[in-house]
Amino acid sequence: MGTRGELNLSEVREKLAGKSGRAYWRSLEEVAETPEFQAWVDDEFPNRASLMNVDRRSLLKYMGASMMLAGLAGCRSMRLPSAQLVPYVNRPEEMVTGEKLYFATGYTLQGITEGIIVESNYGRPTKVEGNPKHPTTGGASSAFMQASVLDLYDPDRSKSPTKDGITNDWTTFLSDARKIVSDLKKKGGEGLAVLLPTVGSPSLIAELERFRKEFPRASIASWEPSARDKAYLGTVIAFGKPLETVYHLSKAKAILAIDSDFLASGPGFLKNARDWAASRNVDGDPESMSRLYAIEPTPSATGALADHRFPAEAEMVDQFVQALAARLGVPVSNASVGGDLSVWLEAVAQDLEKNSGHAVVIGGEYLSAEAQALCHLINLKLGAEGSLVTHHSAVAWMAGKQEDSLRAFAGAFANGDTEFLLVLGGNPAFNAPADLKFGELIKQAKVSAHLSPMLDETGRVCTWHLPESHSLESWGDGRGLDGTATIIQPLIDPLFDTKSVLELMLALFGNADSAQDIIKARWAGQGLDDQGWRAALQDGIIPNTKAAAAGLSAMPPAPIKAITGTGELEVLLRLDPTIFDGRFANNGWLQELPKPLTTLTWDNTVQLSPKHAEKLGVVSGDLVEVATASGKVTGGAWVLPGQAENSVTVHLGYGRDMNDTLIAAGTGFNAYQLWDGASAVKGSVTKVGGKVALASTQMHHYLEGRDIVREMELDALLHPHEGEHHEGHHRDISMYPDPEKEFPFEGPKWGMTIDLNVCTGCHACVTACQAENNIAVVGKDQVLKGREMHWIRIDRYYGSKDLGEMSGKKKPTRADLDNPTTHLMPVTCMHCEAAPCEPVCPVAATVHSKEGLNQMVYNRCVGTRYCSNNCPYKVRRFNFLNYNDRKFSDFKIDGKNSSRDLRVRLMVNNPEVTVRGRGVMEKCTYCVQRINAARITAKNAFAKGQREKPEPMDGEVITACQQACPTGAITFGNLADESSKLARLKKMPRNYSLLEELNTHNRTTYLTKLRNPNKEIG
Amino acid sequence: MPQLFNAATNSYAKISLMAFASLPVLAILVGMTLSRNSPNTRQNIPLDQPVPFSHRHHTIELGIDCRFCHTSVETAADAGMPSTETCMTCHSNIWTNSPLLEPVRKSYAENKPIVWTQLNKVPEFVYFNHSVHVNKGISCNQCHGAIQDMQIAYKSRNLFMSWCLECHREPEKYMYADPANKELSPREQVFNLYVKYQKDASRHSLSGMEMNLIKGAEQHALSTQEGRDLVKARGIKKEQLMDCYICHR
Repeated sequence: MGTRGELNLSEVREKLAGKSGRAYWRSLEEVAETPEFQAWVDDEFPNRASLMNVDRRSLLKYMGASMMLAGLAGCRSMRLPSAQLVPYVNRPEEMVTGEKLYFATGYTLQGITEGIIVESNYGRPTKVEGNPKHPTTGGASSAFMQASVLDLYDPDRSKSPTKDGITNDWTTFLSDARKIVSDLKKKGGEGLAVLLPTVGSPSLIAELERFRKEFPRASIASWEPSARDKAYLGTVIAFGKPLETVYHLSKAKAILAIDSDFLASGPGFLKNARDWAASRNVDGDPESMSRLYAIEPTPSATGALADHRFPAEAEMVDQFVQALAARLGVPVSNASVGGDLSVWLEAVAQDLEKNSGHAVVIGGEYLSAEAQALCHLINLKLGAEGSLVTHHSAVAWMAGKQEDSLRAFAGAFANGDTEFLLVLGGNPAFNAPADLKFGELIKQAKVSAHLSPMLDETGRVCTWHLPESHSLESWGDGRGLDGTATIIQPLIDPLFDTKSVLELMLALFGNADSAQDIIKARWAGQGLDDQGWRAALQDGIIPNTKAAAAGLSAMPPAPIKAITGTGELEVLLRLDPTIFDGRFANNGWLQELPKPLTTLTWDNTVQLSPKHAEKLGVVSGDLVEVATASGKVTGGAWVLPGQAENSVTVHLGYGRDMNDTLIAAGTGFNAYQLWDGASAVKGSVTKVGGKVALASTQMHHYLEGRDIVREMELDALLHPHEGEHHEGHHRDISMYPDPEKEFPFEGPKWGMTIDLNVCTGCHACVTACQAENNIAVVGKDQVLKGREMHWIRIDRYYGSKDLGEMSGKKKPTRADLDNPTTHLMPVTCMHCEAAPCEPVCPVAATVHSKEGLNQMVYNRCVGTRYCSNNCPYKVRRFNFLNYNDRKFSDFKIDGKNSSRDLRVRLMVNNPEVTVRGRGVMEKCTYCVQRINAARITAKNAFAKGQREKPEPMDGEVITACQQACPTGAITFGNLADESSKLARLKKMPRNYSLLEELNTHNRTTYLTKLRNPNKEIG
Repeated sequence: MPQLFNAATNSYAKISLMAFASLPVLAILVGMTLSRNSPNTRQNIPLDQPVPFSHRHHTIELGIDCRFCHTSVETAADAGMPSTETCMTCHSNIWTNSPLLEPVRKSYAENKPIVWTQLNKVPEFVYFNHSVHVNKGISCNQCHGAIQDMQIAYKSRNLFMSWCLECHREPEKYMYADPANKELSPREQVFNLYVKYQKDASRHSLSGMEMNLIKGAEQHALSTQEGRDLVKARGIKKEQLMDCYICHR
């Protein structure tokens, strides 16, 4: 144990090198067995001991008061409330009270629009799903899509325009603005400046082009921090024009990801993940399982899933790309790598060549344009172009020139007199490259206006703040990566007095047409008649809009430029995995979503490699200062196993200057101060002393290092030895009564499998569950106490490359601290047939249903928490406070009071699920509301003689997590139905149950992770 | 000096002490009784409505089907309250000057909904579904009493959980099928009963059991074996009806 309970990294290293101990570990604290870690093992909620420090007198006082209040609470429920019924005057044809309606629309991020289906309850959009008809979502969804409904009901949204901070109205703004615009029009638009975020909407692009013709001298730019310039420039260098790159991985045999998280982030990741999962499928022909290589400076989900991962600094990755290109016959000069990497490169190159035609290289969007271009050229050599990779015309407006446009815009701005500045979305005062000092620049405009959902950093320096409509409130259109067009239709009238970008453009520069008319007319011009329009609205895609694969001719490669700046380290500046460029900072679901590899919530950190942290003498939570040529910031360090030794990762988007907001206030530090637009710069890190509390969930809900994660090599699956699989299960040694006898029932037996082989840890399931089941956001202070409420969590374990004699009974050897293997494991209620939580409940608030669900009855629960204590899987969540009814100030550790009206937030709740109050236990229900709905539909159909059995058929019940999952890792179904997909999966040798030795007979089981290593790499 | 208190005083003192001690218990009992009966539950008390709508007049005297107004009762959780437009399909032509219908005309003209007082309400954590009950042949009368005979509608059952469970425990006691029309689906059985009742002025074609049911008796005399057969034939999984998640979630 380290001195005074401090974590000592060299000690961790020693322990890992040692022979004894556990194979899989979750945190450095666990390996070092620090007192902090021990506290989390000893007690699910270690902080509660402090609650017991009450003297006898106070205890008696509290007891007396509680008993009296309990009596009063009883009185409340005695009186039945009276209610009213308010039917429609004219009921819309499709509207049946209490029934859900579904609308197809689109979700846009980085200018790319993907198809979604939104559920509407009583006219309120409440839940987002992927549109199965859309070629890239394929029915799956991302955490961002899921969380977008919460943004709609953000109590911090502006309710009307403001001028100089004082409430105003649209009429005044429009009359003022039109006057200025008509004056400026006489000079051809000189003095008029318009800045937009990335635009992908064909209708808006048409409007902007028309604007450019009408105001030829106006200055216009389109930029946001997530602009994909380098991806577009990569294709410009390789093929001469900006193009979208779409991967088709389902038939791939060898994939090399170069600093690319193509499985869990970026546009098109849903399709990538789905196709990759298909290529890893061992159901049919196990020999065809693909192999994934990853080389990256900072750990990503893709790296975690790779069969071989090489951590290398961004600079070395650039070298690697050039060397690989040279090795595979692309004409590049001065390319070589040394040491281990050259061995690795040779093995990878051979494998790629061997699988030529089925091999592909995926260059990440943080790579320089030149490096991405090399990846495209390598794909041409590998014969992947046209089959595994296709290119389509660029979707974004000003593709590849967005940063240039911003710099030109800022230059023109600084030089000339700007009469009227319009910022139509985005937040440049917060997130433009630090060297532009954009916030100062805006102040030079005589009149400025900023369209944004809420008053933010940019709105505060502008004359006018104009509230922006949510995409679920406004008409629009957009294109997917492959060009497939989607109409974005509103599900609800704007909640507040807001306008969309297109509406504002039309109001200022267009004729008086509505946005809907403009879009309809535009698509009518492309041959979409009235019937086609209605079909497009219903299906969520416009047919025949997919762009043809572009004809390509290779251009000579350009040399990769060196990373700029000075310092012993390279600082990687990346978009945050949950709050993106900062735009989701006020979204509680995303703030509290654990970041895939660090399991951090509510904060960003300075991610250091263990070696460098040792050198600096820092551990996670210590304050460090990061300095680059652009500036310096101070933030908490995070020691991240797998980080390349000399690189530091800092996520952008945190540190919003938004003290009046509910969620964003006081979270993280602003890394944009370090940023000049490049994704990697040289810099330095120093220890400054002091600590910051980081709410990471990695030590919560700990399963005490038992045999949790299982993995095996493909070879072992193909050629099983004697004693290969874990031994058959002995039911007769259970201390519980036989569940088969206990619950005799002729009907469905619900169960689930989670395939660890394809789980990418993208966390879409966690957000989907949160949206479906009205799960509360608890705030950073509560997460620090281990009180997060997610019903499904994704545990992350570190392990070793060397599986040892997995075929025998020997455990894998211990992990390497600097490049461990990473395992992601979703854990939710196992719905044990012999559930340990049930016998300990004194009020029978958790009991079994005939269909095998472990039911949680909220109105019976008195909050003893015995069930949670007795749960071996730690999946029960307790409402310590009234989280669904928290006041503004409760979200902050030292915030100020406010009497904000939070009722609008309640509109997001799913009316099919009870909203839980304080003192009640809750947990995964297998989405019982969906089971019940399917059962009732089946029963009604049976009563009408339309089906043979009064129960749902296979595939009719889809849980929220299953529906969101892009790789289909989660399968839910009926075990009693021998022909169901679930029953088939449960019979696979890969199927295993968590903590099987406890004899709890879990209904949720796992499929062992498979690894397909290349024997050439040691 | 004579005794200040006679012998009987002891008894008075004891009785008053006992009465005093039992007061809280009595108060609780009175409270419990009140909360479980009409003063609180509004059971059997017709409530004020903006329009004195008569179910008896519309269903029995005029022969309008339940589903004409409660459109989604067979297909959705909600039976559906009729929109003003539904009232106006007829009342734009008949009784166009009736002062009783003034709120309906006003609602239609001003496009403002009529606000009715709700009679039957289950708590928020109960997810009741009309369609599945109707499709399994549970008659409207089982829960709504003799609704077709009401001039002003009232709540007929207390809607306590224990009352729900009576049927969820022993559904066979609440099954109904017309012996003369056995081929009808359970759902058609429900509505056929009202047709029979409405058509037949003398009510002689209804059996005693059917009269019991339609007059709102909670149980009706169907033999237990017949009831069990119906439960089986209709695919009702009796053992499952007691699961908490059937109604709560």
